Amino acid sequence: MDYARPIMWNVPHWAAITLYILIPIVIGLFLFGLIWRVRKWFIGQAEPGGGNLFRQLWQALKEALQPRQLVEFVRDAFFQGRLKRDPYSLLMHLAIFWGMVILFIGTALATIDQDFAYLLFNTQLLQGGFYLWFELALDVFGVALILGLGMAAYRRYLVRPKRLEPPPGPVSLWDKFPFLTFLFLIAVTGFVIEGLRIAEGFHVEKQIATADTAEAKGRVLDQVALREQFEMSPEQKDVQMKRITAEGKVFPAAAWAPAGYGIAKLLAPLPLGSLRTVHAVVWWVHGLLAFGLIVAIPYTKAFHLLASPLNLLLRKPGPVGRLPVVMESGVDSVRDYTWRQLLEVDACTWCGKCQEVCPGYNTGFPLSPRDFVLAVDGRLLRTPFKDDGETPSLHSPHPDPLPKGEGTISSAVLWSCCTCRACEEICPVGVEHPRLIIDMRRRLVDQGQIDEGVQDALMNFQRYGNSFGQSPRKRGDWLKGLDFQLKDVRREEAEYLWFLGDYAAYDQRARAVTQTIARVLHRAGQDLGVLLEKEQNAGNDVRRIGEEGLFGMLRDKNEKALEGAKFRKVLTTDPHTYNTLKNEYNGEGAIAGRPVVHYTELLDELLQRGTLRPARRLDVTITYHDPCYLGRFNGVYDAPRRVLTALGVRLVEMPRCRENSFCCGAGGGRIWMKDTPGIEERPAENRVKEALRLPGVRCLAVACPKDFVMFQDAVKTVGAEDRLRVADLGELVFEALEG
Amino acid sequence: MNIAVVLRQVPDLIEPLEVAGSGQALDWGAASFILNESDDHALEQALLLKEAGGGTVTVLALDFGEVDNTLYAAAAKGADRIIKLPMDQDTPPSPQAAAARFAEAIKPLSADLVLVGVQAHDELDGVLPPYLAAALTAPYAGVIRGVKAGPEAGTVTAFKEFPGAVMARLTVKLPAVLGILGADQPPRYVPVSRIRGAMKSTTFEEPEVAASVPESRVAVDKMYPPVSAAHAEMLSGGEDEVAAGIVKILAEKGIIK
Repeated sequence: MDYARPIMWNVPHWAAITLYILIPIVIGLFLFGLIWRVRKWFIGQAEPGGGNLFRQLWQALKEALQPRQLVEFVRDAFFQGRLKRDPYSLLMHLAIFWGMVILFIGTALATIDQDFAYLLFNTQLLQGGFYLWFELALDVFGVALILGLGMAAYRRYLVRPKRLEPPPGPVSLWDKFPFLTFLFLIAVTGFVIEGLRIAEGFHVEKQIATADTAEAKGRVLDQVALREQFEMSPEQKDVQMKRITAEGKVFPAAAWAPAGYGIAKLLAPLPLGSLRTVHAVVWWVHGLLAFGLIVAIPYTKAFHLLASPLNLLLRKPGPVGRLPVVMESGVDSVRDYTWRQLLEVDACTWCGKCQEVCPGYNTGFPLSPRDFVLAVDGRLLRTPFKDDGETPSLHSPHPDPLPKGEGTISSAVLWSCCTCRACEEICPVGVEHPRLIIDMRRRLVDQGQIDEGVQDALMNFQRYGNSFGQSPRKRGDWLKGLDFQLKDVRREEAEYLWFLGDYAAYDQRARAVTQTIARVLHRAGQDLGVLLEKEQNAGNDVRRIGEEGLFGMLRDKNEKALEGAKFRKVLTTDPHTYNTLKNEYNGEGAIAGRPVVHYTELLDELLQRGTLRPARRLDVTITYHDPCYLGRFNGVYDAPRRVLTALGVRLVEMPRCRENSFCCGAGGGRIWMKDTPGIEERPAENRVKEALRLPGVRCLAVACPKDFVMFQDAVKTVGAEDRLRVADLGELVFEALEG
Repeated sequence: MNIAVVLRQVPDLIEPLEVAGSGQALDWGAASFILNESDDHALEQALLLKEAGGGTVTVLALDFGEVDNTLYAAAAKGADRIIKLPMDQDTPPSPQAAAARFAEAIKPLSADLVLVGVQAHDELDGVLPPYLAAALTAPYAGVIRGVKAGPEAGTVTAFKEFPGAVMARLTVKLPAVLGILGADQPPRYVPVSRIRGAMKSTTFEEPEVAASVPESRVAVDKMYPPVSAAHAEMLSGGEDEVAAGIVKILAEKGIIK
């Protein structure tokens, strides 16, 4: 062994013994906290599908180990893939994460080197060339960690985005634990210890250099008591002393630790005694900080270090448009959530990215998805394991949010959600906020605590199968404006069963668009049929309001009507209908095995195939709004854009587009709710203003009947009727065909 | 407090009403039915009183007009007993006749308070609540918008609305019949799952009720859609077309030349 990692350098025996006494205490406190926190997840319910806990965990693990899931997990957990939309955050988190990981691995290797290889086998793992690379890696990633923490500090203390403000109520047991400061100090003290050790080497090397003979050099080593600093057998110490005498280098690997080396150069002027004293002190500070951090992890928000990757690993695979339902009567206390949901809230990093993209939060509604999740987590950590029947409700007795978070959630917060999934899409650790919110809404519905407008809509759904309170017989009234016939699929077979949805069939403005789309498809020779009065609302938004029983009723009625219908594919213009028919209808029902197609997908196909040939290019600059239930829920982003491109328009994207599209505010039943007093603006107005800020854009293209209505209203309320036209994609195609 | 609530099914006006071949009545077989709106408020008021002060709520309805769904919904909302009075005819009885039957069914209940919607849109010879009060020999107050526990036992405080934006606070000695126009809060929503639950757990009581009903002195000669005496013409098209249309009409009427 020429040279190896110095073990317990400058650490007296009493300190080493104290350290070994502290280690099991630290591990014990950590494990106690870890078990305490993990057990909290399992006060929750089983996930849909049931089974005992081990069976569920085994199932979750089996799903997680599928190749595709595994690739996603590695990308998102180890390379922060879900931060790709925010390069600053991505770089910062990569630096901190990988800095910590490599330093952790380095510490683990050092432990193996010291406590196993050396103590048990009198050899060392960290020696020779491997040790050199070890030193370099730790220094490089240590510097990366400090730089990442610097980026975090810059953002937190200088940029100070609102999303990083502390949550309104208590969450963990020690919310103010200075996690990043601890990390920073651990990294810095690590480098200082290294620097002090190398500086000691410089001192010795300088003195050896002044000695002429080997004996004189040996005397120098004896004078500075260097031999005692090495923790190894007397024979190995002899080898090291000879090596140092011959080479004149105490630490041959010093140059491979550039950060420590640089610090050593700075500290070298200090006297040797001071170097050793300061080294001993900083060594203790470093060790105690590290122990403090380890102990703190389960009791502070630092727990996300463990819970976040685990949550990403155990995420439920399957379409995001399929809402899992466990408790039909909804969530009252944290015990009513599933264990997977409780793991989710515990995995929250408090980063507030969900808040930053939330249409409710951004327009003055009393909803912050982050504060909602943290309120649930805070309550979870204060709920005893044993269910004594006294678990307090998560629901606030007050309809309006209280200024200070006291761990309960008001109905105003829950009803502010548009279920648009912007929060879920951006969450770096895979929290599914809308599902958590809808679960609580279900309890409000069960208790009859709902908005008057929503109640009217639900009553109308119960009675008439549509939200408009119109006769089911009028669902086909829009056909009267056409000079051709659509088939009645109950009587004759059609290629496409056109499932209208409510707005496309009943709303006067959207109905005109439906007619235009029908004309376009008729011109393309498409074989279309309808269910007429047998069609009921598909139930997408009913389900997301939290009226699961009514959703089931609507679905049953539609399934029954579909059973008697003859069709090969389902077509719809409504993304909400599209989502629920595609993802939430009975897997063995009438739709099973038949494609559900959005009309933008069909138009795209017809234009690509040349079945539809525009007679002219549309000379207009257009921006396109991605409907939430088409884009974020079902990944249909490109078909509508290809349609617009085929029409020859100049397409300009809004800053918030595709996955980051900003909801019009209609989703999750909000379209039926009364205006919320005190908000700054309606989400649709916010969106229209975004479109108006784009230079040259005169048209906002939409692909959803609800968007069409919402944005038409918003254009009027912001006074931009003469500056911005709201047009459906179908209308634009029709205009291009007309020439 | 034991409260009896009378619920009535009325034709749903969402579908056009059809007159029967006789020309003297609606074609009841073609109509769809919903709960009379003010009866819905009466039920809500009863449930609020029960929640505030305890007691029971008994719902009564005639077996007419798809009433089962309404009764299951009432049970799901919190009604304790459901009484469905069998009908020997497939047309609704007159308010007088209905009141006599309801009164006979209510008498054995020893109800402290009877709540019923102040009116229904298919009533012929008067409104039901005062007939019911008379048959029960109980005091009656109508057009009530809210009921609370009274200042002393055996009373309730009711709020009556008069035309011209005048309200009155009444102390009503029990037992009494109140004609409800509106409850203290809008009727609650009852989720479908609860209605389904009620369908499984609720049993209707269906007592035979014998009531002597005086013959109505009002008879329908003819039932028909109203004949329009005047009409509005809707102008459509662009601004220029509409303006030209207005000018044309004004010229035709001789208002402008």
